[in-house]
Amino acid sequence: MIRVKNLYKSFDGRTVLDNISVEFESGKTNLIIGQSGSGKTVLLKCIVGLHEIDKGEIWYEDVLFNKLNFTDKKEIRKEMGMLFQGSALFDSLTVEQNVRFPLDMFTEKTYEEKTDRVNFCLNRVNILNSNNLFPSELSGGMRKRVAIARAISLNPKYLFCDEPNSGLDPITAILIDALIKELTEEYSMTTIVNTHDMNSVMENGEKILFISDGVKCWEGNKNEILNSDCEKLNDFVFANSLAKKLRSLR
Amino acid sequence: MYYKQTIRELMYLGFNSVAIIAIISFFMGAVVALQTVYNTENPLYPKYLVGLGTRDSMILEFSSSVAALILAGKVGSSIASEIGTMRVTEQIDALEIMGVNSASYLILPKLIATVLFNPFLTLISIIVGIFGGYLASTVFGTMTPEDFIYGIQYAFIPFYITYSLVKTLVFAFIITTVSAFQGYYVSGGSLEVGRASTKAVVFSCLLILLFNVIITQLMLS
Ligand SMILES: Nc1ncnc2c1ncn2[C@@H]1O[C@H](COP(=O)(O)OP(=O)(O)OP(=O)(O)O)[C@@H](O)[C@H]1O
Ligand SMILES: [Mg+2]
Repeated sequence: MIRVKNLYKSFDGRTVLDNISVEFESGKTNLIIGQSGSGKTVLLKCIVGLHEIDKGEIWYEDVLFNKLNFTDKKEIRKEMGMLFQGSALFDSLTVEQNVRFPLDMFTEKTYEEKTDRVNFCLNRVNILNSNNLFPSELSGGMRKRVAIARAISLNPKYLFCDEPNSGLDPITAILIDALIKELTEEYSMTTIVNTHDMNSVMENGEKILFISDGVKCWEGNKNEILNSDCEKLNDFVFANSLAKKLRSLR
Repeated sequence: MYYKQTIRELMYLGFNSVAIIAIISFFMGAVVALQTVYNTENPLYPKYLVGLGTRDSMILEFSSSVAALILAGKVGSSIASEIGTMRVTEQIDALEIMGVNSASYLILPKLIATVLFNPFLTLISIIVGIFGGYLASTVFGTMTPEDFIYGIQYAFIPFYITYSLVKTLVFAFIITTVSAFQGYYVSGGSLEVGRASTKAVVFSCLLILLFNVIITQLMLS
């Protein structure tokens, strides 16, 4: 469980996150949705500690994360896996070496055990026979999947995904959503996913946070989202003409 | 943990610079020797001055300072753009998330590699440069090999080698730290990475020139 309390964040005097409070539950796929530029990535990076926050509290279970020193943060970070918006694979390493990297850094396993784990993770995301390719030789969707494999290689307790399916075709997008949901339930991780894709919202939205211009507007699940009375959320949910039509029919 | 990285950087930043340093040193040595030959045609000057001049120019200035300026251009820009690209593509964030100390993981192996290897580059440069001078002055410059060899042995001061290597160590440190700093603190996109690598080269060169004066004053006065 991850809890955010009264979080403020600004860049050069421009407020990007304004008093955000929310609780993300374990074993569930928690979604952060909002328009482009609303502050989803910044919120995620604040939660994992890549951005210093101005004010507020970030709790991992009962540990106040944002007040920890570097060494203590490191302990919690070993339990985190993160998928970045641009995949962020190490481009000097092959697919296999990328997934192996966290294992090399933090485990004492033998080479063979690590190889087994690497192949298991790559299998899990359906990347086969590509172990010796470099990230530049992969397609965008494959890079995302390898990045997921790297994020789960240490069996993290917390998984963060920044737009895991943006820029992908609908079939691959759904596959990745399903994969994230499956992994979350299988290992009862606390998963937080940034997205602006309504498909993933309707598939995975067990817990949804909607932010607009850095302000929390609405919180709920996928069953509640269609019947909310939050004006901004409705504009977001029923943005395309098909959705508008369906809504007027009801 | 850093062992593999250091080996990689030794190959990448060290061995890959041998060819360029050797080529440039060969031609610089040749030109210095020819210049000395043609500017000392007065019979009052002893012939061996050519060997001596080539040797001391290489040891004192070229192989340490000028070679460092060239390496600042080659190695410095590559370090800054490599680390800068990792920054803007969030690879550094990815390291941080895993709990890796990204600054030391990325910079330390490069620093160890350059500080270990650049003294060898300097020695290579001295040897190849003197050889270039020898060839040029005996083939084109109407010198006898004996005169030249006498020259390079004449009044040799071993301390000059120490001085040259000390400068090289300091310059290697400057190039790596300045360039890594420029790359590590990039924000933005590929445009900024390009700017950072230009800045890395310019600042390293300026610092090298400045420290050249300081070290010379400290060690040779
Ligand atoms: N490092 C930074 N420095 C200054 N401003 C920033 C920085 N990062 C983000 N911002 C600003 O914060 C705001 C929110 O950005 P953020 O990246 O969180 O949007 P987002 O919701 O993730 O959008 P998208 O869906 O397009 O990824 C934007 O207005 C952006 O200009
Ligand atoms: Mg974003």
